[in-house]
Amino acid sequence: MNTTHSLRKTGTILSFLLPSFIGFLIFVFSPMIGAIALSFTNYSGGPNFRFIGLKNYMVAFTDQNFLSYLLVTFEFMTITVIFQIGLGLGFALLLSRNFKGCSTYRGILYLPNILSSVAVGLAFMFIFEPSSGFMNQLLASLGLPTSKWLASSKSSLSVIITIAIWQNFGYYMVLFIGGLQNISRTQYEAAEMDGAGKIKQFFHVTLPGLSPILFYGLTIAIIRGFQVFDYIYIMTGGQQGGGPAGSTNVLAFDIYLNAFTFFRFGYASAESVILMIIILAVTFLQSHGQKKWVNYDIV
Amino acid sequence: MYILLTIAAFITLFPLIIVLSSSFKNESELFNFPFRFIPEKVITTNFLRLMDRFPRYIWNSVKLTTTIVIVQLFTAATGAYVFTKLRWKGRDFIFGLYLASMMIPMQAVMIPQFLIIRNINLYDTHLSLVLLGAFTAFGTFLIKQYFMSIPDTYCEAARIDGAKEWTIFTTLMLPMSKAVLVTQVIFSFRFFWNDFFTPLIYITTPSLKTLPLGMTDFVREQYVYWGPQMAAALISIVPVLIIFLFGQKYFVQGVASSGLKG
Repeated sequence: MNTTHSLRKTGTILSFLLPSFIGFLIFVFSPMIGAIALSFTNYSGGPNFRFIGLKNYMVAFTDQNFLSYLLVTFEFMTITVIFQIGLGLGFALLLSRNFKGCSTYRGILYLPNILSSVAVGLAFMFIFEPSSGFMNQLLASLGLPTSKWLASSKSSLSVIITIAIWQNFGYYMVLFIGGLQNISRTQYEAAEMDGAGKIKQFFHVTLPGLSPILFYGLTIAIIRGFQVFDYIYIMTGGQQGGGPAGSTNVLAFDIYLNAFTFFRFGYASAESVILMIIILAVTFLQSHGQKKWVNYDIV
Repeated sequence: MYILLTIAAFITLFPLIIVLSSSFKNESELFNFPFRFIPEKVITTNFLRLMDRFPRYIWNSVKLTTTIVIVQLFTAATGAYVFTKLRWKGRDFIFGLYLASMMIPMQAVMIPQFLIIRNINLYDTHLSLVLLGAFTAFGTFLIKQYFMSIPDTYCEAARIDGAKEWTIFTTLMLPMSKAVLVTQVIFSFRFFWNDFFTPLIYITTPSLKTLPLGMTDFVREQYVYWGPQMAAALISIVPVLIIFLFGQKYFVQGVASSGLKG
């Protein structure tokens, strides 16, 4: 009686757990282990492959191209993070108070975030068309110099960075508005009683109160910055993309090319493990930095 | 302040206005400057030129997105239930693994995923996309947060009345959680309707392509037809836009609760 009862209980638990757990095990957990294992091989899809130790990693870190992809990725990540978090915070501060029309403005600024990166990419390719696109005609009509935009290695990354900022800062704005609205009014009232001005209130009440969400947003922005792919593929020419002259070749794009165009699965896995280590390091720093910098008492 | 906000709102919306307007413009009028919102001559040729392939792409996207949204809702809700309302050994550990998996970049799992799918002969099938989309750590987390706010006493009372766990789940928990279920549906709809990367890797047969993947046909062609390209972009934007207009608060809730774990 007791065993059938506990068997039935186990059965019930499994019936709820397995729908998500099977997917997790087969398509998330094992692939992660598999990627690490593959990164030590020269697997290229065929039956003949072997263990080659750290060779893929050594090849990557001595390859001038790989280092330049890493540099482009860092550049993209740094600039998008600064602007997305900065604009997100700025507009969150403006829009966290309730006034007439605030939710309309919030909605509009958040809107680009829900659109497909393909549609956004196609739209901006039109706007930044290198000869007679809207942006060039606008600049020309103002007497400013025009640019080749995506067709020039000097400006291509800047164009993609601009689009990434345009599409994503609204997400951080909404995130921060939520955080700001969680700071209780009494904190501000207390600060006001102590004679703190607006600026002092910002540094002593707003920033500490927002710090957990600010840290979270920063981490998410950094992680997403490292993984940028869609815009590069769409706007710089699909599988021939990453140019002009490698100026927009980011790590995620090179992983894609090596894996699915050249079938260098082993080497691409090593690159993806490097990306994973970078991201886990950022997460680790965040959770440690958080203990040091983030104030939880105030919320 | 209103001036600043209005300028920002205008800059944000302007690219979308260009897409909308250009979809109905003649190729000869597209690059006219100054930009006119209402075309001199409103045409629908751009849309008609998409008629050969795009109805198929749209249908594929509708079919796949609907399927994945339903599958995700099922796996996320059952997962949320087992992690909140049932007690068992290893529960927190497994949930910890789910949470940690949110930090794993997709690039780090995609190669073995691809090899698995290829080995079970599902490469270039819609089923591969459904399987890969079935598990959602974020969705499980989102619904779990909500289930935690529902007092256990409801479930206990039902159990004393002899109700089975699946009965409690379907007749008690799910109806009480409509708000979060809608949020989950909206988030996964938006993600898979827009998803470009997974179909790019797994789908090669033209008749199986989804809308975002089909739209990149343009990037590979030698001559760019801007009008049809803008029309295609418009088609892909409209469904998400409609959902956004009616369910803005669910988007906000989803973003806000993603920050809860921070």
